[in-house]
Amino acid sequence: MRWRGRLIAWWARWRRSRFERDMAAELQFHLEQRASDLVDQGVDPDAARRRASLEFGGVEGYKERCRDAWGWRLVADLRADVLYGVRRLRASPGFASAAILSLALGVGANPLVFSVVSSFLMRPLPVERPGELFFLEEERYPTHSFPLYRDLRDRAGSVASLAAYRIAPINLSGTERADRVWGYLATGNYFDLLGVTPAHGRFFGPADDRQPGAHPVAVLSHDCWRTRFLGDPSIVGRTITINGGAYTVLGIAPPGFYGTERFYHAEIWVPMIMQAQIEPGNAWLETRNTSNAFVIGRARSGTSFDQIAQALNGVGADLVREYPDNHRVLRFKLASPGLVGDMLGAPVRAFTLGVQTLAGLVLIVACLNVAGVLLARGADRARELAIRLSIGAGRGRIVRQLLTESLLIAVAGGAAGVALAVAGARLIRAWRAPGGFPIALDVTLDATVLVFAAVISTLAAVVFGLAPARQAARTDPNAVLKGTPDAMPLRRRRWAFQDLLVGMQVTLCCVLVAACLLSLVGLRRALTLSIGFNPRGVAMAGIDLALAGYDRARADDFQRRALEAARTLPGVESAAYANSIPLSIDQSTTRIRPDDQPDGTPPEPVDVSYYQVSPSFFRTMGTRMLDGREINWSDSAGAPRVAVVNVAFARAVMRTSTPVGRRFRYGRDGAQVEVVGLVEDGKYRSLSESPRPAIFWSILQSPNATTTLLVRSSLPEEHVTRQLQTLVATLDPSLPVHGAGSLIEMLRFVLLPSRAAAIALGVFGALAMTLAAVGLHGVVAYAVSRRQRELGIRIAIGAGPVAVLRLVLGRMGWLIGLGAAAGLTLVFAGADLLQAIVLQASPRDPQLIGAVVLSIVLLAMAACWSPARRALRATIR
Amino acid sequence: MPDQADLLPGTLDLLILKALSLGSLHGYGVLLRIQQISGGALSIEQGALYPALYRLERQRLLAAEWGTSANNRRARFYRLTTTGRARLRAEAAGWKRLVDAMTAALETRIEET
Repeated sequence: MRWRGRLIAWWARWRRSRFERDMAAELQFHLEQRASDLVDQGVDPDAARRRASLEFGGVEGYKERCRDAWGWRLVADLRADVLYGVRRLRASPGFASAAILSLALGVGANPLVFSVVSSFLMRPLPVERPGELFFLEEERYPTHSFPLYRDLRDRAGSVASLAAYRIAPINLSGTERADRVWGYLATGNYFDLLGVTPAHGRFFGPADDRQPGAHPVAVLSHDCWRTRFLGDPSIVGRTITINGGAYTVLGIAPPGFYGTERFYHAEIWVPMIMQAQIEPGNAWLETRNTSNAFVIGRARSGTSFDQIAQALNGVGADLVREYPDNHRVLRFKLASPGLVGDMLGAPVRAFTLGVQTLAGLVLIVACLNVAGVLLARGADRARELAIRLSIGAGRGRIVRQLLTESLLIAVAGGAAGVALAVAGARLIRAWRAPGGFPIALDVTLDATVLVFAAVISTLAAVVFGLAPARQAARTDPNAVLKGTPDAMPLRRRRWAFQDLLVGMQVTLCCVLVAACLLSLVGLRRALTLSIGFNPRGVAMAGIDLALAGYDRARADDFQRRALEAARTLPGVESAAYANSIPLSIDQSTTRIRPDDQPDGTPPEPVDVSYYQVSPSFFRTMGTRMLDGREINWSDSAGAPRVAVVNVAFARAVMRTSTPVGRRFRYGRDGAQVEVVGLVEDGKYRSLSESPRPAIFWSILQSPNATTTLLVRSSLPEEHVTRQLQTLVATLDPSLPVHGAGSLIEMLRFVLLPSRAAAIALGVFGALAMTLAAVGLHGVVAYAVSRRQRELGIRIAIGAGPVAVLRLVLGRMGWLIGLGAAAGLTLVFAGADLLQAIVLQASPRDPQLIGAVVLSIVLLAMAACWSPARRALRATIR
Repeated sequence: MPDQADLLPGTLDLLILKALSLGSLHGYGVLLRIQQISGGALSIEQGALYPALYRLERQRLLAAEWGTSANNRRARFYRLTTTGRARLRAEAAGWKRLVDAMTAALETRIEET
């Protein structure tokens, strides 16, 4: 108790402060002087002292008036109040921690969540007049082919200006080491359209975006410039090495500007016309069938988004007539920019809305809790207040003291909450996505909201903290001291109000627990979902040979040698490589026109995910072959074109369940492709997608210089990953390896949204449970303590434990039951909202309902345990 | 002490200021000086002196410091500040006007009846 000792010392020091010492000495001097004068007049010394004292009057009273005159009173009272308050809170740590914890969670969790939401959705991109910007989507696809972009830009130019961009990995050397960084390819009008001002130098413009391959220029992000070029301003105008070529740095972007996707922090911008150099071996600027460009637009002043959509659809209809082979329908939609349109935006918005609702509920629970705890405690103080009133405390003074106590709680809770929010925001900001993709959540705390939450909870604390004062003011102290039950005139009404508090708490707790459990169930399902491969035990490493300047023959040779070397690593069961793997960020799709329908109507092209894979790919990935065989080494460039397809492909494109041995037409020339194998359906772009067609080409027949080397091994993945990195380094020390790690690790990234949801919901669920348990406990404990005498008498005259418990907990049981029923009703009513947030789990699942009920029962038992024990041990006192 | 008049509210401050205008004194000295200048006709509850002294000091009409009394004891001595002196003049004038007016009023009434 060192703390306590210091407190007492401090208190004593204050009391013996200079003012007090001086005043005592002065008055003492007066008395002695008077007495000695009287002695001089012949009065006997004892009598003189008595008379001096008599003439002076009450010393303590005058001292008090001196302190008042000096203005000490307010300060002294405040100190006394604070010290007394602190002592009282320390005397009942359970109560204090419950109230402070409730407030901290309420005050801290909300602003944090709100700040995350606002940085997700509300903060505009750091560009000029962000309200005019839109992200162009076609039906549900966020990407467009570059020729289509050009047509739209030229023909709809009167209503909106359009710029195209693409996320692209770039090999940056010329600094200390070669690095694969993430950047943007962007059209020449990109910076003009956004209206950003460079920090140094200039941005590239339309003049730097004319001749394919002829404009080796680049713009660096402020962070890139600072971390990779040490903030050297002379870098502007110098050349850096990008993918082996010399590029001139034109300028530096302003700090805080990372491009047009909110979570993607690009480091470098290169003109779109350099696409073939940035993405070697995959030129798509002139192909109408490859949709690789994002399009962002700015409305011309005076045009609404509706008008723009209409104009673009008009152009789209023309284009469908002009290019019937490429487009069947072109319908455009304008989404808000920053989150890859509605593809990411819609779920993110739904999720954040859900979380925000939960945060609001938690704030309400926290306030209810503080109210309940303070009310219960206030009633316990009736006696104390009555004593203080009857020995002369002013009612104003008592109110002030209670207010001080409430404020102490509010300040402590608020401070803890703010600390929580700040720490949480720091944690989120420091988070980086696994797999090296430059994703960052730029969360800054929203001060307004922080203040709002703090004010709300402080108000709750103050209002309910004053309840005992209000009650004391109407109470006859004598009656309370005598123990008359009717001494608390408001008892009945206040109890009804407290009942309501308990009921509401249980209700909200139910909702939150349901949401939390639901998300956990959803997450477990997502983890055990059939994703079409078995990620356990697979290590991988990405190699970008094109970026490193390999030509096709050398790349081919390198890939084979790497595969051979990987196969001979110890512990390796099988190895393969592919241009990309399902559920990674890099997904390619193509459109394939299915076979003619029996009635002869021309069928719609089907959207198909495609992969270029080496032999043993399915074995390595753990994908089940349903029929036929894998791609093998004989499926090489000269051999007939073959492919492996999944079940959905067989159904949608070939209209058969036994595709092996059959052929389908592919491409403009209508080449025949033979299906040699059938594999199970998997997940390719996201976990929540419905089964989609996928096709696996032989990488020997359709080569790709960007590949991922995959190894299935019985050894730990980290170990194998390191071996893979060493292996690549032995083959070519200058070759950067990217995305090295286990397949599971990569999947974590895919699972991130549901994991984030599960964590957020789980936290809120736990929070609500804690708060509700604390609140219930407070109320039950209060009920028991109030009836201690009565219970003692009942037990003395023979009441059994069951009867006692029924007496104490009966009402609580009803309240909890009613609250839970209301909560479950709400869960059912809000099932659709919950389902929108949580993947693959229905809130109407009986198991889930059972689990919610069970947790409420457990919660009630935890809350009632110690009060019930106390009730059973009650004796007459 | 016979024939003592109780103090009117507010007059104690004025008396203290007057007493101190004649030289700096400790609290007990102020009491003696007041009894002396009023010829013992005004009674002061001794303790009441101190809240008044503290109040006047707080208003910066008095300044106080520790010194040594005639019999060589540590005592707190008060003296009038410049503002205190100005206040004394103003209050004394006000008091005089009040007394004159009261006297005139009381005498007029006697003549009329």
